[in-house]
Amino acid sequence: MPQKFIIPKSRLLFLMILIIGSVVTYTFYLGSMQIVNFGEYQRRAKDIASREAVLLAQRGEIYDRNSDLPLVMNIPSFALYAVPGEMTVEQKEKLIVNCSEYLNIDENEIRKKIPLDSEGNFLPVEIKDAVQYEDIIFIAEHIDEFPGISWQSKPIRGYPEPGSISHILGYVGDITSEDLQILYNKGYNRNSTIGKSGIEKQYDLLLRGEDGSRMRTVDVKGRRIEDDLKIIPPRNGNNLVLTIDRKIQKLCEQALGERIGSVVVMKPSTGEVLAMVSYPYFDPNLFYTDRSKEVYTKLSLDSRFPFINRAIQSSYAPASTFKIIMTAAVLEEEAFSLTSTINCTGEKRFGDRVFKCHKHSGHGPLNLSSGLAESCNVFFYTMGVDYLGINKIADYSRRFGFGESTGIDLPGEVEGLVPTPEWKEDVYHTIWVGGDTVNVSIGQGALNVTPLQLAVSLSMIVNEGVAYKPHILKRVVDSSTGEIISEVKPEILRRSNIRKETFRTLQDYMRGVITDGTARYVITTKAVEMAGKTGTGEMGFEDKWDSWFAAFAPYGSSDPDEQIVLVVNVEGANNWEWWAPKASDMIMQGIFADQSYEEVLDEFDRRWYIRELKAREAAAAAEAEAAESETQDSVAQ
Amino acid sequence: MKSRSFFRFDLIIFFAAVGLSIIGILFIYSSGISSDGVLQNNEYIKQIVWASIGIVIMIVLSFFDYERLRSLSFYIYGANIILLLIVLFSGDVVNGARSWISIRGIGFQPSEFMKISLILRLGVYFEESRNKYSDFIRFLLGLIQAAIPMLLVIIQPDMGTALVYFPIFLTIAFVAGVKKRYLFFLLAAGFLTVMFSLIPAWDHYIITEKSVELTKVFTDPNLMMIVIGSLIFILVLSGIGLLLYKRKYFYWIGYAIIILIIACSLAMGTSSFIKDYQLKRLIIFIDPQIDPQGAGWNMIQSVTAVGSGGTFGKGFLKGTQSHYRYLPQQSTDFIFSIISEEWGFIGCLAVFLLFLIIMIRGLYILLTAKDEFALFVGCGIIGMIFFHFIVNIGMAMGIMPITGIPLLLVSYGGSSMFTTMIGLGLISSIYLHKYKY
Repeated sequence: MPQKFIIPKSRLLFLMILIIGSVVTYTFYLGSMQIVNFGEYQRRAKDIASREAVLLAQRGEIYDRNSDLPLVMNIPSFALYAVPGEMTVEQKEKLIVNCSEYLNIDENEIRKKIPLDSEGNFLPVEIKDAVQYEDIIFIAEHIDEFPGISWQSKPIRGYPEPGSISHILGYVGDITSEDLQILYNKGYNRNSTIGKSGIEKQYDLLLRGEDGSRMRTVDVKGRRIEDDLKIIPPRNGNNLVLTIDRKIQKLCEQALGERIGSVVVMKPSTGEVLAMVSYPYFDPNLFYTDRSKEVYTKLSLDSRFPFINRAIQSSYAPASTFKIIMTAAVLEEEAFSLTSTINCTGEKRFGDRVFKCHKHSGHGPLNLSSGLAESCNVFFYTMGVDYLGINKIADYSRRFGFGESTGIDLPGEVEGLVPTPEWKEDVYHTIWVGGDTVNVSIGQGALNVTPLQLAVSLSMIVNEGVAYKPHILKRVVDSSTGEIISEVKPEILRRSNIRKETFRTLQDYMRGVITDGTARYVITTKAVEMAGKTGTGEMGFEDKWDSWFAAFAPYGSSDPDEQIVLVVNVEGANNWEWWAPKASDMIMQGIFADQSYEEVLDEFDRRWYIRELKAREAAAAAEAEAAESETQDSVAQ
Repeated sequence: MKSRSFFRFDLIIFFAAVGLSIIGILFIYSSGISSDGVLQNNEYIKQIVWASIGIVIMIVLSFFDYERLRSLSFYIYGANIILLLIVLFSGDVVNGARSWISIRGIGFQPSEFMKISLILRLGVYFEESRNKYSDFIRFLLGLIQAAIPMLLVIIQPDMGTALVYFPIFLTIAFVAGVKKRYLFFLLAAGFLTVMFSLIPAWDHYIITEKSVELTKVFTDPNLMMIVIGSLIFILVLSGIGLLLYKRKYFYWIGYAIIILIIACSLAMGTSSFIKDYQLKRLIIFIDPQIDPQGAGWNMIQSVTAVGSGGTFGKGFLKGTQSHYRYLPQQSTDFIFSIISEEWGFIGCLAVFLLFLIIMIRGLYILLTAKDEFALFVGCGIIGMIFFHFIVNIGMAMGIMPITGIPLLLVSYGGSSMFTTMIGLGLISSIYLHKYKY
């Protein structure tokens, strides 16, 4: 029998108070949610129930200065989506297997995007983009094999004439989460496409436009429930017109050929860049194919760095082209009488070191004009060490814009370097010696410039004291109306206080290089009178030299419309052909005679190097043909 | 009291239970309707069958003399433990836990019935053990009997159900007169263990910007060993102090230190077998936005459903969150979300009131219980109902972690329906048999 006991009333009371207290607390909390903050939750519920279908904005197209044919356009293409939350595990499994089998997608990659246990996720996941129309038809015909799949138009970028222009245009890709963190407030989202390099990156905001949306109330299966369709139309991106001239770009590309190096052609009177070539280049179309990763990896590992736009992202010793700046300094400072001469014996001794001239037998007596024309090293050694000194050399280098970015509207420009005694002490903790000045005097040593910087410095000489900021964008055009939204105006980058007379003399001397100097046998075009300077840079190896040519044309012209500046750099990694002046000769001929590369070749038919070039091309073509017929033979067998 | 009884049968609890079951069936029906008005499953029919059987069980049990269970309780408890062991080896896996036994196609969860078995067993135990053992031993042996099924269910793993055994033990032990300091000890150690286990996850998912230095104590085993070591040192010192000076505060210092040592050690143990995503689910209610597509999804959807219900709700079958199927597990864990979305504050108030009636009326009946066994069993049942209520509704409102604990009588599911009806039947029986000697 149970014993007598006393009901523990106080403890039961405690339980009762606990229960009532909790229920009352919950009632108040619920009231605060459902009555006080009702509006906030109602808004959220509506947001969730109204599915937003994104209406993608068309990315703007990019044209060259003639704005007739697009350099970049949008190619119709599709992206495939699936909503993991509304699929069963079996459906997901089937979709994953079939997608990887028929659409050639890596199975592990889809599995990562659509985990089997993702039943809570009702946002569409992009399985693959850049899907061709034919594939969509195939999927539509076999829709049972692809449970839960849907697709949307998502054009990809197409580059009709890929080539050297790729460095300027750049390419686009999926936004990375690092990008997104910075750009989130500018209207980018997780599915955004973003320019990764070149103009596509520089002017991404202009090109991308603004996605629109179609709001409708739907259930999780995406079926429409209410008819309250609300459409915000997308605002398409703007078209861009570049300063680039497609014909000149092509001409420069072909004239440089398969030689590592770069070419810049610009209008000194406005800063417009007419052509900018960097070899090797890449084909951005390949980034939008199934093999994109493979292609990207291969290009990234290429030891010639095809992603580098050498015209602005590489800096080199300017070599003898720097003698232009030296000459300007001597003229402006009146450091050396124009009639005095210096006798070149083939070498000069500074302290205990002997510096040689490129002509080992010596040039004999030279004045400033013939010193530049002959590109005499001994002459400029003497100028640098005895008449100017490193501080003046550095000062004039900066006045011509070296060691400072030009501000061109392309990402990733490098600044180059103008060495000074302070710099050397900072970096190497050693003292500046006379030999350093000797080296800088002929554009060697630590002095580094980009081909574009050299072109800009030349444009200052042509303009007699003003340099315009180089730019690629010419105008922004509304893609739907064709209206011009904005036009890029020439912007003064630098105004020099060097006397106009100095520039004029300098122009004459540079003309002398072509008529009587180092370039007299190689520059033969009759189409225009040009002025310029050759350069041969030491690379530290025997028989490997950078080849430079910097020129402007027409010499003596005052018509800003026809003036151009040209810089060609051929890296020493190539076989030595002294190619820069030869390429310049062809480019000038092409531009001023309005000829294509092939026409220039015919025009220059007599020249030994053209014959050699043609013979080599013919041999290569024959070889290719032979290889092709051989494979055909083997196929026939 | 006679006026409110029919055949001296307690009608208040009966009607409250029937009312909650009807609400449950209505909203299980609602949850099965898709946005275009098509019924997508027949869960509500099954629930009608279960509720009907449950009500019959409750009535039959009311007239059954609970006293007979006193001698059976040990065997029921033992048999249920054996069932739990069988489940571990040959049970069916549902929702990731090996928790079901099916005999000829009819499945049930032994862990559900274990709640009742445990209540009966603890009821007998605490009655018999009153003058048999010292206070502490009595407490400890009771705790062990609750801990055995708890561990077996945690292994399944079904954390939610295992958790329910804890408040059952606490309530019965509390009413059975176990010293408050023992119960507080248990509560504090349990609470701190959970806190300490969650701190690394909290640090990792919520304080993402800058890791709090102090949390390293809970992630770095070496630091933890130093902490535990120094705690033991303090414990020894306070033990010596207690022996030498017989001062009371040395006792309390030791008490607090032991709680800390146990919590730290257990937390270190849990971190080795609890997986990251499980911790994530537990802390998600602090900030569901840390994983809006994954674990946080349910919470965000549920809270939105509850809040958007407003004062009067969107109307029966008119909830957008539920019928557009944004809400997961609508008929089981998140049934309260649909109720509050479609019936609003008023409807929720009705649910609250019905539960309050059952619990308070239950306690009121227990005031007249004729023996300790009846008192303890009744309190265990009320403790169980209370815990389910608080955790499930708290979860729907976004202030409790997602643990998969159903709302008794309302949520879809036969086992929990039967368990509750058996419990209510027992309380009814206590009421009916209060004058019989």
